Amino acid sequence: MEKREAWNTILVFVILIFGFTVATILKPSDDFSETENRSLAQMPKLTGQHILDGTFESDYESYLTDQFILRDAWIGLKTDVERLALKKESKDIYFADDDYLIEKHTGSFTTTQAERNIQSLAQFFDTYQDTFPEGHRSVLLIPNAVDILRDKLPAFAAPYDEEDYLAKAKAALADDLWVDAGAVLRQHMDTQLYYRTDHHWTTEAAFYVYQTWADAQNLPVRDAEHYDIRTVTDAFEGTIQSKLGIHTVKDSIDLYLAEGDPFYTVQKNGSEEVDYSIYDYSALDTKDKYAVFFGGNQALVKISTRAKSDRRFLVLQDSYAHCFLPFLFEDASEIDVVDLRYYNQKLSDLIAEGNYTDVLVLYNVAGFAEDTSLAKLLG
Amino acid sequence: MVFSSLLFLFRFLPAVLIFYFLAPRKWRNLVLLLFSLVFYAWGEPVYIILMLVSILVSYTGGILVDRFLRQGRERSARVALIGSSVVSLSLLGFFKYADFVIGTVNSLTGAGIELLKLSLPIGISFYTFQTMSYTIDVYRGEAKVQKNLISFGAYVTMFPQLIAGPIVQYKTIDEQLRTRRETAEQFAEGVHRFMIGLGKKVLLANNAGALWDSIQAMTCTELPVLTAWMGLAAYTFQLYFDFSAYSDMAIGLGNMFGFHFLENFNYPYISKSITEFWRRWHISLSTWFRDYVYIPLGGNRVKRWKHVRNILVVWLLTGIWHGASWNFVAWGIYYGILLLLEKFVFGKWLEKLPGVFRHIYCMFFVMLGWNLFVFEDFGSGLAYLKALFGLYGQGFGNRETIYLLYNNAVLLVLLILGSTHIPARLGQWICRKLEDQEVVRTTLRNLFYVGIFLLSVAFLVDASYNPFLYFRF
Repeated sequence: MEKREAWNTILVFVILIFGFTVATILKPSDDFSETENRSLAQMPKLTGQHILDGTFESDYESYLTDQFILRDAWIGLKTDVERLALKKESKDIYFADDDYLIEKHTGSFTTTQAERNIQSLAQFFDTYQDTFPEGHRSVLLIPNAVDILRDKLPAFAAPYDEEDYLAKAKAALADDLWVDAGAVLRQHMDTQLYYRTDHHWTTEAAFYVYQTWADAQNLPVRDAEHYDIRTVTDAFEGTIQSKLGIHTVKDSIDLYLAEGDPFYTVQKNGSEEVDYSIYDYSALDTKDKYAVFFGGNQALVKISTRAKSDRRFLVLQDSYAHCFLPFLFEDASEIDVVDLRYYNQKLSDLIAEGNYTDVLVLYNVAGFAEDTSLAKLLG
Repeated sequence: MVFSSLLFLFRFLPAVLIFYFLAPRKWRNLVLLLFSLVFYAWGEPVYIILMLVSILVSYTGGILVDRFLRQGRERSARVALIGSSVVSLSLLGFFKYADFVIGTVNSLTGAGIELLKLSLPIGISFYTFQTMSYTIDVYRGEAKVQKNLISFGAYVTMFPQLIAGPIVQYKTIDEQLRTRRETAEQFAEGVHRFMIGLGKKVLLANNAGALWDSIQAMTCTELPVLTAWMGLAAYTFQLYFDFSAYSDMAIGLGNMFGFHFLENFNYPYISKSITEFWRRWHISLSTWFRDYVYIPLGGNRVKRWKHVRNILVVWLLTGIWHGASWNFVAWGIYYGILLLLEKFVFGKWLEKLPGVFRHIYCMFFVMLGWNLFVFEDFGSGLAYLKALFGLYGQGFGNRETIYLLYNNAVLLVLLILGSTHIPARLGQWICRKLEDQEVVRTTLRNLFYVGIFLLSVAFLVDASYNPFLYFRF
């Protein structure tokens, strides 16, 4: 190598190494990543103890990675390279047809946790069979996109078959409990059942399942005309997009607003404050637009309606229920929505005080299998 | 600390470069020593004491051996050498092999002795071999004694090669420790070499490793033949690209600070025999065993049975050096036997075969060797071996095989090409074509290396998978 060429190389190297070093030092730390929807690691405290046991070192590395300059752009670059290398998946997410990004959920269903969760659920219904007798209890485990949209998966992709796990869950539960959401969704394959960039199902998908479920619960079944279907955003890039850091397409979120705008009150997490809508429109201005429903995950939401009904529902759920529950507001007088991941009181106390007539358990099946809080069903 | 991390690239490296090049020449070994200690201590500070003890032992050993030799006291020199070697080896033996011995005793006698559960000091196998080579070479008169503790400490701890080699023999850099001149040309060579290593590790090895992990995680009895081989091939590539990448980065970093380390890998996967493979794989380790075990035992200039014994001893030790577990012992003996067979049985016959068959033969046994290497317990190793030969009746391939194959096709092609001379030759060819166009050539070259660097950073920022394979050595 000639001297001039050598100095060129050295110059480029110095600019790269020192440029990024200075940039990462000067960049102020962010507390929260909107794209990833999580708190970012902060500069750890420097103490002798923590240096000696190695926690300072590992915390510092997390801090450096989390706070690295242009973090989202780097993550996107990596995904782009993987797509250029003709990979059909990245980080257990398939690049599926029609711009769908679909999570694989490999390994979620074969764990002991997944088995235990089925047992907890079965035990829950045994324990409360007098409180919630046949006809007043139901389970909706919603298959994920990877199951329903399997035709859109890359050729020869063979993810774990969610049907196996669903069959196990069904077998463990009394016959009257089970509502086959998957069968309903498969009848509507011509519509958009899942978001392309997010792990949730669409309001439309929830509506079809609601119809079938309501029928099974002896509740009135309404058709789509009853609702004013309003698209509140067409710029939604969901959680799966965040993981990959690339921009493909944007999703729309629809709200099904019932005719006549039925009146109800909402109280969240035991607060005295009363809302009159479960829709949080301010969420539409943030990255996490699905939080337009319920303002995101809440430990406990109590909804009182003016419906002329003596049905009082306890709903044990994850965020898949958020777009489903509004359909119930005209037919139940009280709906208490519990997210066990965040609910830290005794569920048995709530049931004893709540005077409920019905219970609904609604989860997406992968979320259900992965959930570590379902032991609280028996608490 | 590892090279392939944001911490190294954007905190440690800039800091050491600034201090090193601002320091006056006579202070530079001290700068290296201090930074190397930080590098080593990062994450596991306690074992630094062990390394310092090891340094002091061989430093003192070297001085004593040298003094006794000068005084003509051959015998005392020998005692000093043996003394310092025994201490070094005992430290290695205790921290690396104590639990292995206890476990073996327990399983043979049912004694139920409690395991010590010591975590292995990183790099202990590498630096013990380096310090031992120093005292031995002083005794043999092949190396000058190093009386400067800072220079000697800098040699042992030097962060480029501290945790994953190459095993630098003292005599090869003695002069460089005393008088070296860093030059722009050498620094730039080092930059290129480092970038290549970084890319090999982050872009190739880690992705190969991810493929291996995904296949290894599947139920062994359900693996069709092709998937099993794809998995083993992925591991084969991971090991090579990971390990040789560390050597590339070490050599590159050494260059930046004015050192020349010897090459450690020379395209091992293009070998056409096992003998050739071991001349190309982890050269610094084979050289060490040759110089300090094989030849002292008499090498091949002894009776046939002694020659066979020497080969087996070396390979038994090579195996056990790689890890305190019986599969490594078996792996070493496996190679000892293969090399004996090539030497005494079918070597001549093999040479007559067309190259492609010799290559297939070599890679077949190398890959089976890695199968032995990767599974610590023989049960899992045997189960995977069965899958490789279709003994579970899962056929040749299935949906998943096709999916994995086309998803990783580009990666596999890059891995195969990367294991050969082709990329280097292509680069040289392009540079020759552009010989008269310096600006174009320089720009193209720098773009290539900057590209590798930026992609590596992207993969590091989003590191879901960035293992360090040599924590057992």
